[in-house]
Amino acid sequence: MSALGRAAYGARPEDVADVMRRGWPAWVEEQLAPNEAADRGVHERLARLVLPFRHGAGPKWPAVDEKRPLALLDRPIEAVWPLIVNRADMDGAERRRPRDEVTAATILRAVHSRWQLREVLANFWHDHFNVDAYGSEEVSVALPTYDRDVIRRHALGNFRQFLEAVATSTAMLYYLSNRSSRAGAANENYARELFELHTLGRDAYLNDRYDRWRAVPGAAKGAPVGYIDEDVYEAARAFTGWTVEDGSGIDGQRKLPATGRFVYVESWHDGYQKRVLAHDFKQFGAPLIDGRRVLDFVADHPATAQFVCTKLCRRFAGDDPPSAVVQAAVQIWTASRRAKDQIAQVVRTILLSSDFAAARNAKVRRPLAVVAAFARATGLDLMPAEPLWNEIGNAGQRLFGWPSPTGLPDESEFFLSVNGMRHRWALVLAVAENAWGTGDLPVPPPVLQMPTPRMAAVQYLGALHGAVERPLLDHLLAGLGWPADQPLGDPMRPDVRKRFARIAALAAMAPEFQAV
Amino acid sequence: MQFTRRDLLRSGLAAGAALSLAPGLRSLAFAADGVDRGLLVVVHLRGGCDGLHLISPASDADFIAARISDLRVAADGAQAGHALANGLDSHVDFRLHDAATGLAELYKSGQLAFVHAAGLPAETRSHFVATDMIERGIADNAALARATSGWLARYQQGLGLLRPGAAVAAAGSPGGDFEASATVLAIPDLGGGFGMPGGPQVAEVLSRMYGAAPGPVAAAGRTALSAMQLVDRRVARDPQNHPQPYVPERNVNYDPAGDLARPLKTVAQLAKMDIGLQVATADIGGWDTHEGQPGRFRNAVGRFSAGLAAFYEDMWRYHDRLLVVTISEFGRRLRSNRSNGTDHGRAGVMAVLGGNVSGGRMYGRWPGLRSEKLDEGVDLAVTTDYRQVLSEVLTAHAGAAPPASVFPGFQPAHPLGLLHTAKAATPTVPG
Repeated sequence: MSALGRAAYGARPEDVADVMRRGWPAWVEEQLAPNEAADRGVHERLARLVLPFRHGAGPKWPAVDEKRPLALLDRPIEAVWPLIVNRADMDGAERRRPRDEVTAATILRAVHSRWQLREVLANFWHDHFNVDAYGSEEVSVALPTYDRDVIRRHALGNFRQFLEAVATSTAMLYYLSNRSSRAGAANENYARELFELHTLGRDAYLNDRYDRWRAVPGAAKGAPVGYIDEDVYEAARAFTGWTVEDGSGIDGQRKLPATGRFVYVESWHDGYQKRVLAHDFKQFGAPLIDGRRVLDFVADHPATAQFVCTKLCRRFAGDDPPSAVVQAAVQIWTASRRAKDQIAQVVRTILLSSDFAAARNAKVRRPLAVVAAFARATGLDLMPAEPLWNEIGNAGQRLFGWPSPTGLPDESEFFLSVNGMRHRWALVLAVAENAWGTGDLPVPPPVLQMPTPRMAAVQYLGALHGAVERPLLDHLLAGLGWPADQPLGDPMRPDVRKRFARIAALAAMAPEFQAV
Repeated sequence: MQFTRRDLLRSGLAAGAALSLAPGLRSLAFAADGVDRGLLVVVHLRGGCDGLHLISPASDADFIAARISDLRVAADGAQAGHALANGLDSHVDFRLHDAATGLAELYKSGQLAFVHAAGLPAETRSHFVATDMIERGIADNAALARATSGWLARYQQGLGLLRPGAAVAAAGSPGGDFEASATVLAIPDLGGGFGMPGGPQVAEVLSRMYGAAPGPVAAAGRTALSAMQLVDRRVARDPQNHPQPYVPERNVNYDPAGDLARPLKTVAQLAKMDIGLQVATADIGGWDTHEGQPGRFRNAVGRFSAGLAAFYEDMWRYHDRLLVVTISEFGRRLRSNRSNGTDHGRAGVMAVLGGNVSGGRMYGRWPGLRSEKLDEGVDLAVTTDYRQVLSEVLTAHAGAAPPASVFPGFQPAHPLGLLHTAKAATPTVPG
C-alpha cells in the first residue's frame, strides 16, 4: 500500500490484490505504457461532468448562471485563444474556465484513471515546469494545451523534447515573459529559471563567478561544471524572438496573427555571436538554432541529470532519497538521453529499486492525494467541484496556482503547518460527508448488516490503512463517545449515513493515513 | 488643534491609560518571562522589489541616462514622486514613488525610515538562493550548505520565545524565516474562526489519535490541535456562536493592500488577542517585474504602502511597542530590458517603521550609479548588509544585541542608529 501511495494516488482494494497476483514489476510495466483509449472510466466521467458557471452582467453580456459540461480540454490553442482576443466582449469567468476545467479533470483522473503513475508524473512535471494559471489570464487560457500537449505528452518521454515543448508553449512564454524578449536588452526571466529550476539546478549556479567563465572548472574543455550569470544573459539572447502569435506588430507593415501559437520572429532575435556554457555560438545561425543549442547543452549537462533525478527520487522514495537510487537513476537518465522513453526508463529504475521498496512513511500525502486516496480506498465515486479544489488549495496545494516558478515544494514539512493540518482535516471530513456534492460515501456491506460504530471503524480503518491497528481503533471509538456496539440506525437514512461518514473521515484523519 | 498619533501616545493616553480602557489588550505582546518586547513584524516583498523605482535618485544623471522615464520616479510633473527629506546625498534628489502616499506620510511623521542600497553581500541574482540566504540569516554559499534553520527560529530559541502564540507566520506555511521552529504557527486568516472542523467530537478523537503517536505528522497534529484551541476561543463571536469578522480600529480599510491585507489584518487581530504574539511575518508578492513594470510596479507599491499604513493605523495604540521591517531578496537591474521591465539585480531598499524608529531619514551609504560604482558594472551595489538593519531592529526588540547564532559569522558595523533605543522601554510622558 505504501508503494501504491507513492507511485499512484493510493490503492483501491482491487489494486492491492492485483499487485499481489501479478507482482510489482508487472504493474509498473503496464503503467509505463499507458493507453489513453483504455481509460474509459475517465472518459465516461469527463463526458458526464458538469460544473456550475456563473457571472454577472457586463456592458456587452448578460448575467449567466448555468451548468456547463467540459468543452475546452481537447481544443487546440487557436480555438481557445479568442477568449483572450475578444476579452472586451465577455466576462473574466470565461477566461478562468479553461483553468477550472483542467483542475476538475486533474482531480477526476487522480481518483479514477487507470494510468495512475502517469497522473503522479503529470503532477510532478506540472510542479517542475510550473506555471501560474491564477496569476495571468493568458496562462489560464493556455492551460488545457499545456497540460495535454506539453506535460502529459512528454511525462514519460524524452527530456530534451520535453524542454523544447515547454520552451515553445504559450503558457511558459507568458509565465516567464520570454514572449516579449527582444534583441537589444533581452528578458532574462525564462533563461534564468531554465538553468536554475528546469535543468542544471541551483547547486550548479556558480554565483560568485559572474562573467568569469574561464574560472568555471571544466570550461577549458567545453564542459563547465556549472553556470554563471553570463550564461543566463547569453541564453536570454539565444531565446529572443521565441514568442507567441498575439497580434503584435512586427514592424510598420506586418502584424502577427492572434492565434496564441508559438512563433519565431527573426527580426526580434539577437543574431550576434554568443557563448553559453563555454560553447561558442556563431553569429546569425539558422532560425531557432541558438535556443535549440542552449536546450541541447542544458539537457545533456550532468548537473541536469543529477538535479532532475534527485527530484524524481524525492517524489517516489522520500524527502531525502538514498544516494544509491539517485545514482542508479542518473546513470539510466544519461545512458538513455537520446531515447524516446528516457523518462519512463528512469522511473522504472526508481520504482524497481530496493530503496523505493524499503521506503515507509517517506512522504506526507499531498492534499490532492489525501482526497484521491480516501476515495479510492473507500470506493467513493468522487466527482470534482469548485469548493473541493479550493479546500485542496487551502490545505497547501492550489492546483495550477503556485505563483513562483519553483513549483510546489516537495518536502513533507511544507504540508505540516498548523494551517495545513487544519485544512487537511477539514478536507477529508467534507468529502466524507459529501458537503460539496462530490459524491456519497458507500456504506460497506458488513456495516449494512451490523450498523455499529465499531463495525464501521473496523471497516474503514481496514480499507484506509490496510489493517486495523488496535490502539487506533480504541482511540477512535473512545473519542467518538457513541456506544461502540450499539447500532446507530438505518445506514441509508441521511442523518445516520452522515455519522458513518464521520467515522470514515476520522479513520482518514489519523496520522497513519497522512504519510506513505 | 490636531493631535498626531504620536502626540496621543505621548500625552498619557500611552501605554497606561489607553490600554487600560481596553480589556484584553493590556498584555499585548507580553512574554511569559514578563519582558515587554513589543511586536516585531517582518514583511517580505517577494520577487525582488526594484529599489531604484521605489526610491529613485531622480536627479542623478547616470540614472536618467540608463533608464527609460517610465521606470524612474519623476521629480516634477503630474506623477512627481514624494520628495524625501534627509536623503543619503545632498546632491541627489531622492523621490519616493508617487503611489506610496501612505509611506510618504509615515516618513514625514518621523516614524518610517528607509535604508537604500541595502541587501545581501553575497553575489547572487537568483530569487531562491537570495531568499534562502536571507531567511537563514547568512550571506555566503558555504554557510548555506550548513544552515538548516531560519533566523527568526534561532531568535525565538535564543530568547526563549517558544510558547505557542509567540511567533506567527501570517501565511499558509511558516516559510524559511521560521525554518526548524517547533512552535511557530502558520495562520493565514481568521475569517471563519480557527476552530476544529467537525467540532469538539472530532477534536476529541484527534487528540487521542495524535496524542502519543510518534513521528513528524503526529507532532504537527498536536501543534495544530493546541494552536486551534489557543486561538479559536479568542475569536469574537455573535450570540449564535458564529465567528465575527475582525473590525480594525479607527475605521481602517485594509482592502487597497490587496494580498498584503489578509496577512497584516490577521497579525493585528492576533496581536490584540493577547496570545503573547511577539514575532510575525507577512508576504506581499508582485515584485518580479521582468515585463510591463510601470503598471505592475505602481500596483505593487500601492498595495505595499496601503498595507503598512492601514496596519500602522489599526495598531495606533501600540506604536511604541511595534516594529515593522521590510525586505526583498534583491533589487533590480539598473538598465531596463526591452520588455519594459527589469531583470534581477543586487541592492534594494529596506524600510523600518515604528514609534521608536528614528524616521523621516534615509540611512546607509549611497554608492552612486556611475559604471565603475556598480556591482559587476550592472547593478546598484550593496553598501549596507541586510543583517545590519535586522540586527538593529532585533536589538531594539530584545532590549539587547541578539544572540550571535541569529546571524552566524556576521560582524555588526557601526550602528546606523535606526532606533531611539533609550525610549524603547519606557515612553516618556511630557509634563
